[in-house]
Amino acid sequence: MSKSILSACALFLATAGIAQAHTTLEQAEAPVGASYKAVFRVPHGCEGKPTNTVRVQIPEGVITAKPMPKAGWTLEKVTGAYAKSYDYYGRTVSEGVKEVVWSGGNLGDDEYDEFVVRVFLTKDLPVGQMLYFPVVQECPEGAAERWIEIPAEGQDPHDLEGPAPAVKLIDKPHAH
Amino acid sequence: MQPSSMPIEAGRRAGASLLAKAIVVLALLLAGTAGARAHASLASTEPADGAVVATAPSGIALTFSEIVSPLVMRLVTPDGASRDLSDVAYSGNTLRVALPAGLADGTHVFSWRVVSEDGHPVGGSLIFSIGAPSAMPGAPTGAVDWPVRGLVWASKLTLTAAIAFGIGGVFALSWFGTGRQAGRGAAAGFVVAGMIAAVLAVGAQGLDALGEPVTSLLEPTVWRTGLATSFGRTALGLLAASAAAMIALVVPGRTGRAPALIALLGAGAAVAASGHAGSAEPQWLTRPMVALHVATMAAWIGALMPLGLALRAGGETATGLLGRFSRAIPWLLAVLLGSGAVIAFIQVETPAALVTTAYGRVLLVKLALVAALLALAAFNRWRLTPAAARDDAAARRALAGVIVVELMLAVLIFGAVATWRFTPPPRALARAAAEPAWVHLHDPRVMAAVTVNPGVAGPVAVSAALQGGDFGPFAAKAVSLVLSRPDTGIEPIRRDLIPAEDGTWRVGDLVLPLPGRWKLRVDVLVTDFERVRLEGEVELRR
Repeated sequence: MSKSILSACALFLATAGIAQAHTTLEQAEAPVGASYKAVFRVPHGCEGKPTNTVRVQIPEGVITAKPMPKAGWTLEKVTGAYAKSYDYYGRTVSEGVKEVVWSGGNLGDDEYDEFVVRVFLTKDLPVGQMLYFPVVQECPEGAAERWIEIPAEGQDPHDLEGPAPAVKLIDKPHAH
Repeated sequence: MQPSSMPIEAGRRAGASLLAKAIVVLALLLAGTAGARAHASLASTEPADGAVVATAPSGIALTFSEIVSPLVMRLVTPDGASRDLSDVAYSGNTLRVALPAGLADGTHVFSWRVVSEDGHPVGGSLIFSIGAPSAMPGAPTGAVDWPVRGLVWASKLTLTAAIAFGIGGVFALSWFGTGRQAGRGAAAGFVVAGMIAAVLAVGAQGLDALGEPVTSLLEPTVWRTGLATSFGRTALGLLAASAAAMIALVVPGRTGRAPALIALLGAGAAVAASGHAGSAEPQWLTRPMVALHVATMAAWIGALMPLGLALRAGGETATGLLGRFSRAIPWLLAVLLGSGAVIAFIQVETPAALVTTAYGRVLLVKLALVAALLALAAFNRWRLTPAAARDDAAARRALAGVIVVELMLAVLIFGAVATWRFTPPPRALARAAAEPAWVHLHDPRVMAAVTVNPGVAGPVAVSAALQGGDFGPFAAKAVSLVLSRPDTGIEPIRRDLIPAEDGTWRVGDLVLPLPGRWKLRVDVLVTDFERVRLEGEVELRR
């Protein structure tokens, strides 16, 4: 019994910190029509193996993605045409970064790191809903952790084995 | 998060650990409010999933990606029983679960369910086999409806007796005798009984096919169904053969020979039109063999009653009948035994099946009875017939007495043969065992035809053939398989499928130890960022 209590306490302490088993986004909510600093928290590698590559897919409606370089990692930006054109401070934007890849790193399974992309969330995105950024961690020998699952209507995201990091879209607060 | 499920889960396990579990849950709920949400993932196990080990391991080690707390640790043993394991030790991220001593050889399923930081339980299964993989006994199959089975058996027995003593008797009377001697009444009675039995057997067949009780015998659908089965052809053929036999009985003297021969061969053909012997491959061989077997059996056994009656009366009729029968019997027996051997060879396939299958055991009983019958026949032929042919009264009466014993043996043989209706032959069993289980799963984008081969509990290979929503080929980046049995507490078993040369995705070293319905999920990785989940169920036989 004492072991159960000990482990519970250990769990509590662990979770009070920053340890998380899924790759997730730091901010739970973000307003549309504004910039958003997406911080991807990578808690572990692939079943014991270190992470060498982190790939983030930029969803439709998210434009002007600017990844933050990381020491020890090679940064790559995969660009392409958006499905439609978006208004960005009066300017029309129809193409840009659609995927960000940090590769050549070595993030141990028992280590933690964060990967940052600054993006603009267009007003076309639906307020009140979740916006998903699918993430893939690639490890040696073809192993991979894929955080790419998007819950279906009415599905509890906790039932997914590899839920994609998500942020809730909210209305832009009226500052003036 | 679904915190409500946790106290229920904990409450189910009474005793001293309850309080500890409640504290765990509380801590986890508090932890949950701290904002962290995470599922633990299994990093490694000892023994490895799917392992075949020589001796029973003393325990199982599960290493997770983070610290977890156990909820359920359950072992399903090769006899299909399951028990909860409570002796769990912790060391870092590793749980060590002690296994009970004296585990039997065969396949074990260890199912675990743990809770991690976010308070959400996660589970999985680990399969290991001691010695060699095995299958577990499943739920018993449906109960046997003995009244219906009895009706089917009785109608089959009556039909066989009617073919032998009725149609065979008519044949013997007109071909071995003059068509005018004693035994005509008895033969006619058997033919009529056979016609009634043929009709009743259709109803019994319908009840059996529909799984209806005897009380539904008067329902039209039962009769329509019975007639629609292959036995419908047999019943109609037997009615026609019986009609020919009746004609042979009423027309005078030797003119009855043609309808009697038609009746005999017709009865053989009718029996060959249904049943598992007639439907075995190659049919060009089995159907004629069954027809010949039945016709020669009827000619032999059918002659016994007129012979016995004539021998008891004595005189010219008896010696004439005995002489013609004695000349014909070697040929009849040659065809009878030859055709029987061919059918047995095709149906039983391996000598071992004679003792390992119900069909084989029935055949052994039948062969023992046939051997006794042949011994009596040989005794008749070489001991009693020469004397009886000289119209020696004592030999005649002895021969008539032995014939009564022969008739009783024949009825026992018919009874044994009628039970074959309920015992599929080894040939069919082997084919059924090799039959794969199959399920088709689909999504607008991708479809998977999943084959579990063989479709029986035990070691299996699973293959998935993928197609796009447009029925074209589908190139997946990776495919994985998840199988579970929520009804027996077997948590998901996961395997990555390997692409094969023929374009399918396969896994070979999988043991699904329980018969019944397995929940099956195929995860198809379409692109690096997109995965399609296909879900369904597949049924494994025992």
